[in-house]
Amino acid sequence: MRNISPVWKGLLLLVIAGAIGYGIGLGLDALISGALNTSGPVGAAFAILFAVTAFFFGIYGYRGITRGLVYQVVGTLLGALLITGIRALMGLDNIFGVYLFSEPAWVVGALVGVVSFLFGVGVVHDWVQWSRGIDTPEHHADEPGWEKYFGVSLDHKVIGIQYTITALVLIAIGGTFAMIFRTELAASQLQFLTTELRLFNQTGPQIYNTLMSLHGIIMIISILLGISGIMNYAVPFLVGAQDMAFPRLNAFAYWVSVPASVLMLLSLVLGGFDTGWTGYPPLSARAPVGMQMFFLGVFTAGWSSILGSLNVIATVVRLRAKGMSAMRLPILVWASVATSIIALTATQLIGLSFQLVMFQRLFGMPFFDAARGGNPVLFQHLFWFYSHPAVYVFVLPGLGVISELLPVFVRKPLFGYRWVAMSSLGIALVGFTVWAHHMFTSGMNEYLRVPFMYSTLLVAVPTGVKFFSWVATMWGGKIETPTPMLFVLGAIIVFLMGGLTGPPNAAIALDLHLHDTYWVVGHFHDTIFGGFVFPFFAAIYYWFPKATGRRMNEFWGKVHFWMMTPSFFVLTLGMMLIGLRGMRRRIVDYDPALGFDFAQLIMTIGGYLIALSVLIFIINLFHSIKHGEKAEGNLWNSRSPEWQVPSPMPVHNYDVPFEVVGEPYDYGLKDSKYVEFSPNGQKHIEFTTEPEVQPHRH
Amino acid sequence: MGTMVHTHDNKSMLSQGILIFIYLAILTALEFFVAITFNSVVLLVVVALVKAALVIYYYMHVYKLNLESEVDDASYDFKAGTNRLGLWLFLISDAFVFAGLMVVRINLLGLSRPELNQTLGLAVTTVLLVSSFFMNRGETLMRNGDRQGFLKNIALTFILGLGFLLGVVLVEWRLAIHEGITPSGSTAGAAFFMMTGMHAFHVFTGLILLAIVWINGRRGLYDVKSYPVEAAAVYWHFVDVVWIFFYPALYLIGTAVH
Ligand code: HEM
Ligand SMILES: [Cu+2]
Repeated sequence: MRNISPVWKGLLLLVIAGAIGYGIGLGLDALISGALNTSGPVGAAFAILFAVTAFFFGIYGYRGITRGLVYQVVGTLLGALLITGIRALMGLDNIFGVYLFSEPAWVVGALVGVVSFLFGVGVVHDWVQWSRGIDTPEHHADEPGWEKYFGVSLDHKVIGIQYTITALVLIAIGGTFAMIFRTELAASQLQFLTTELRLFNQTGPQIYNTLMSLHGIIMIISILLGISGIMNYAVPFLVGAQDMAFPRLNAFAYWVSVPASVLMLLSLVLGGFDTGWTGYPPLSARAPVGMQMFFLGVFTAGWSSILGSLNVIATVVRLRAKGMSAMRLPILVWASVATSIIALTATQLIGLSFQLVMFQRLFGMPFFDAARGGNPVLFQHLFWFYSHPAVYVFVLPGLGVISELLPVFVRKPLFGYRWVAMSSLGIALVGFTVWAHHMFTSGMNEYLRVPFMYSTLLVAVPTGVKFFSWVATMWGGKIETPTPMLFVLGAIIVFLMGGLTGPPNAAIALDLHLHDTYWVVGHFHDTIFGGFVFPFFAAIYYWFPKATGRRMNEFWGKVHFWMMTPSFFVLTLGMMLIGLRGMRRRIVDYDPALGFDFAQLIMTIGGYLIALSVLIFIINLFHSIKHGEKAEGNLWNSRSPEWQVPSPMPVHNYDVPFEVVGEPYDYGLKDSKYVEFSPNGQKHIEFTTEPEVQPHRH
Repeated sequence: MGTMVHTHDNKSMLSQGILIFIYLAILTALEFFVAITFNSVVLLVVVALVKAALVIYYYMHVYKLNLESEVDDASYDFKAGTNRLGLWLFLISDAFVFAGLMVVRINLLGLSRPELNQTLGLAVTTVLLVSSFFMNRGETLMRNGDRQGFLKNIALTFILGLGFLLGVVLVEWRLAIHEGITPSGSTAGAAFFMMTGMHAFHVFTGLILLAIVWINGRRGLYDVKSYPVEAAAVYWHFVDVVWIFFYPALYLIGTAVH
């Protein structure tokens, strides 16, 4: 076993453990229901839990993430058994059900599982010690090499990469789901997701609904983790800090996202759910147990967002280098703060809205049950109070990346620094006042419509500021186009499309027609690709050398870009086109008489090409870690402090601290300087709870 | 910062704590009086806001939040300042949960409220308020260097907090169910159990923090480095602030429906 690579070992164990888990689940199910349901939920649920755990065991052994997963599996089973036992003692019938455990048992089990994971992976260890009055060393030395990414690390750069990789894994999973249902859409009528199909207790169309819903939420979580990746990796070194303000909280925020992802996968097999990512009641009040796993998964992932943003704000407020005044902060830092303000506060309301539905299901509390005095529209208000601002959470860091990289590649100062810095905050704040533009057709009070229309249109103003700044920055510049810059340019164009397709939705009269059509699907894919996906790729190509000391392959980077961008236009323009003609969203089939077949086929091909290009990217990424061209210096000729030190960066970022002495983006101006490295530049920061703890190891 | 330097300050802090408690008690009585006489919603809201402001300023000492980085970044004070900011950010986030619950209550119930036991409501409210007083006293004594006084007051806070928790969950919930107000029976019942339940959960976590601080205090862990004590106190007062709004929302405002 010693000589085969850990990945193969992991895959081998994945298959074996998956089979064993499947067998155990099938056996238990047969024991209780008396019938052998080979395509049922129970076998699949056990298979997933066992397989994921075994995969990491093969790669990394029994520690870190593996131990977390083992704890999660055991915790889930124990929690579920406990509730099952209590229910048996209470003399309830239906102790077991088609999903093996009853719904309350699954919910409590899942919750216990998440908490167990956190103990298992070890991320709460120090806090437990502190509360017992025991000091722990300030820094735990990380393992060398790739292994540190599989266990708890307190280093913001490691955590940033953990976030990024997890985001890419989720993008791959969510993308695979999309490919499956896109294939079904390629032609009218049902081809393989037929009504006869039975998988995890779902028919083909139900599987479609579940995959569509999971695609949405898994992508959203991957975006939240992706922006956390960028912010965690970059913000501390951009402001000149040695780490985040609360390194343990930082690790905690990352690690809760792992059990959350497991819950998302469980929801697929536990009957799924057919509400879309929005989870509106009354449908969500009666969907299968999978609905609860979805709610719990989002709730858990929400804590990642909340605690991560708390950390970002505290870091920027408290740990800036000397001379880094508000108006000299990098734009990406401003964008991160704006994002974090939204995520810190609004996230609680999606959590609450989901929690209320969970309780309605578990205890019959009639919050959203109109028949018993509840109000389903209330759910939509609570939900969108987060979920509209959330779209700015998705895009603000990406827009920050655009403003950050653009001056580097056009060799000119960023146009209108102050306005751009303030526009992020402006978008974030106005973004809080527009949520009901998602509800024009919901039956809410009509007098609410017009104010929400105007507030929505108002957001276009600060967004426009960014566009003017980008265009003016490029104007007359010497534009270079290495891969990161290609993605920056792509981002600007795609986001423009997204931005332009927004106001029609906000115009009430138009939206009554557009709502719930593929037009909206086209709109938000444009905003999200322009505001997150393209800048995320740009950021990875740009900072990859910083993390590894090597650069990603340019040729394959360009192939990635030139394959993805046109395919993406085909896909989303197609969406808008058929949407305007009346194609409803979230539906498995359409009438051949509508004449959408050809467009749908082309869009499906576009979708496949995007998937292929992302695959190329992922291969390029992992290949370049070892085999990429060496790039240890200031590869992009940037003024930013992180590029003035060798790559990869030392553990605490700057061995010699810097002081800010000029403007950040004065590219091309003679004798202008942004930072100066000197021993008295940075205030001395050690992360201790107790002042006299030993100095840290470098 | 020497332990004794602030002794004089903290003497006046002690009497300030008493004074604020008296204000809060009077306002609570006033609130109850308004509710049973002319029941003005506006007045109830104003009283609640004043009470909250008093607690936030004098008991949670929000003015200690200092965004400017002090010079000596390696100092305990600097780190305590960062931790303080982190805690406040967390509380702001948490406040959105309770604000959301308030929106749910207003949306579903409007100016009606569940018919609850008024005596019990006032009793638990008083118990929580008194606990906040002892919490403040304990924190001040700790800073004063009086460990025994600190421990005694924290213990009192804990007992009162536990009393509140049991009063709500064991007595009030049972009485309500007995009166036909159940989680699944009506939106009023649902809102009542959800709001008190979420609050009780926070009280419960607060009790855990108090227990930790008390045990570690007995071990002699805090002196100058008493930020954990401050953190537990601020969190405890936050839970009190939430109740300052939830109490009128559930017990006082509008008319009781059955
Ligand atoms: C000028 C800016 C924008 C305007 C005016 C705007 C307006 C709207 C409106 C009115 C809707 C509701 C359409 C409907 O369901 O009938 C909508 C949907 C949506 N928008 Fe935007 N939007 C803008 C920018 C963005 C941005 C930057 C994002 C970022 C990702 C975004 C993401 C979304 C999403 C995800 C939906 C669909 C929600 C759903 O129904 O599931 N939008 N937009
Ligand atoms: Cu919106």
